[in-house]
Amino acid sequence: MRERTRKIPPELSTGRTYFALGLEGSANKLGAGVIKHLLDGTSVVLSNLRHTYITPPGEGFQPRDTALHHREWAIRLIDDSLKKAGISVHDLDCICYTKGPGMGAPLQSVALVARTLSMLYSKPLVGVNHCVGHIEMGREITGAQNPIVLYVSGGNTQVIAYSRQCYRIFGETLDIAVGNCLDRFARVINLSNDPSPGYNIEQTAKLGKRLVPLPYTTKGMDVSLSGILTSIEAYTKDKKFRPNGALDGENENSNIFTPADLCFSLQETVFAMLVEITERAMAHIGSKEVLIVGGVGCNERLQEMMGIMAKERGGQVFATDERFCIDNGIMIAQAGLLAFRTGQTTSLEDSTCTQRYRTDEVHVAWRV
Amino acid sequence: MQTSSFASKLNMASPLSHTLLQSSSLVAQGAEARVYKSSLTIGGPPFLLKHRFNKQYRHPSLDASLTRSRVAGEARALLKCLRSGVNVPGVRFVDASEGILGIEWIDGLSVRRLLPGGTEDEEDLDGESIHDPQAKLSAHGISVGNLMSLIGIELAKMHAADIIHGDLTTSNMMLRHLTKFQVPVGSSDSLQLVLIDFGLSYHSALVEDKAVDLYVLERAFASTHPESEPLFASVLQAYADRLGKEWSGVKRRLDDVRLRGRKRSMVG
Repeated sequence: MRERTRKIPPELSTGRTYFALGLEGSANKLGAGVIKHLLDGTSVVLSNLRHTYITPPGEGFQPRDTALHHREWAIRLIDDSLKKAGISVHDLDCICYTKGPGMGAPLQSVALVARTLSMLYSKPLVGVNHCVGHIEMGREITGAQNPIVLYVSGGNTQVIAYSRQCYRIFGETLDIAVGNCLDRFARVINLSNDPSPGYNIEQTAKLGKRLVPLPYTTKGMDVSLSGILTSIEAYTKDKKFRPNGALDGENENSNIFTPADLCFSLQETVFAMLVEITERAMAHIGSKEVLIVGGVGCNERLQEMMGIMAKERGGQVFATDERFCIDNGIMIAQAGLLAFRTGQTTSLEDSTCTQRYRTDEVHVAWRV
Repeated sequence: MQTSSFASKLNMASPLSHTLLQSSSLVAQGAEARVYKSSLTIGGPPFLLKHRFNKQYRHPSLDASLTRSRVAGEARALLKCLRSGVNVPGVRFVDASEGILGIEWIDGLSVRRLLPGGTEDEEDLDGESIHDPQAKLSAHGISVGNLMSLIGIELAKMHAADIIHGDLTTSNMMLRHLTKFQVPVGSSDSLQLVLIDFGLSYHSALVEDKAVDLYVLERAFASTHPESEPLFASVLQAYADRLGKEWSGVKRRLDDVRLRGRKRSMVG
């Protein structure tokens, strides 16, 4: 694993190193990772493993089957991640798991594993908010100090800024998440779910040229995406739609559109909306840094658009690659260990999980 | 349509609007536009030019159509507000295809800067003044309660005209002192609250849209000004008083809208 270093806030400095195991399973990715916080305030990723539950094209992942997948892989993945980190369970300071938000059944199976480990080895538990995990890992990896965060994934779409020990949500989706919108369209046009539907949309979109008109629905700093999905689905039933590319004798001027054109249009429209609300939040707060986190955050077109916007404003974009963007265990370990070091632990009775757990409900004690 | 013919009358050839832009001085760069202070004659009365420049990140045709419709929409909404007696800047100049809108220059401070939490550098101030909502307002001779009711009244007037602002924040409200020539006949109040930035506004009579508009403001209050719940409550009170019998419908829908948004706690 590549080592990344960054100063940990002074209020956390105590004279020893810390280890934490992070377990993530709020959706179809099961992740386990070990992080180490060093004496000098820097931190090291010792291991970061992931196993993804992949469904056939045209199908989404069902909670029940996803939970089964997690149960099947949990022990192997945790074993491997500890081995790779070169430490034993006894060296850990705490075991961190995703408390929410996410799908109920997968969350429960991972929480059960965490609880069991905690009791077997008498290690304290730390329940972590998934979104805060993303933000903390993004800050850690990129070194962004106090950025506006665009958190875009299959289950969440939020524009977040830190203020007074809380990650405040400035804007969010009013209906479905952007990843959900992309994934569901991938299902409609039967794209593969391997490695992820969003990745395949991105690759297909690179071949698209024509921009079809779609609703553009920003409401203040919020966006609405469900109407766009309906609208783009309608295009696939249009008689000008060519699911297998242009027919003989049709050229660029034929007024037809292909799946690539639709992927292209969807990305251009939806990402423009996301960049717009992020820019509005930046202007509102007066911030120059943007951090993109979450699974959709590794889309290079989104990163590129955000980069152009930030450059126009004299700012800077921070983004990470798929290891840290897509759900992973290490981000849970990072956020959990920060909480643990400020004295936050989760007792066994409280070690539940929840499908609804807003980013702004977390007390961010580790930041000033 | 009355408004569109007015807009076309004001529409000038694009090189001209760019000449005007070049002779103006940049005041601020917002999210959407660069704002210039301009004047038609040297030393003449200033007006504000709002240039929605090309967004390089956006697909050119998407950008062009959004810019055109937003400039035209903004001018249309401002005119409708003016006719209905809502305090908004007057329209001076429209060039929709170039993305340029010229409006009245408002001399004043944004409400955001007048309330606690609205400026970045206030961490340096002593602890008390941060939490005292009155701290920054005293110099302007208005109590925080009066300011909130001014906001509520303007919003109610705007919604009564079926204009939805679409981006209500405390940054988009200005408080200005009127000179004695500007004070409307029969009014003794020299302070005026002016709503600005109608870039995302549209026309709608639906209770839903009005409630969402208020909700956007509520969220802006909560995220910008810590512990501002009582402030927003007094905005709503003034809004309710002014709007009259329509209020009960808006209120019901507002309660409904608050429950939306993802991953809200379902307890209670």
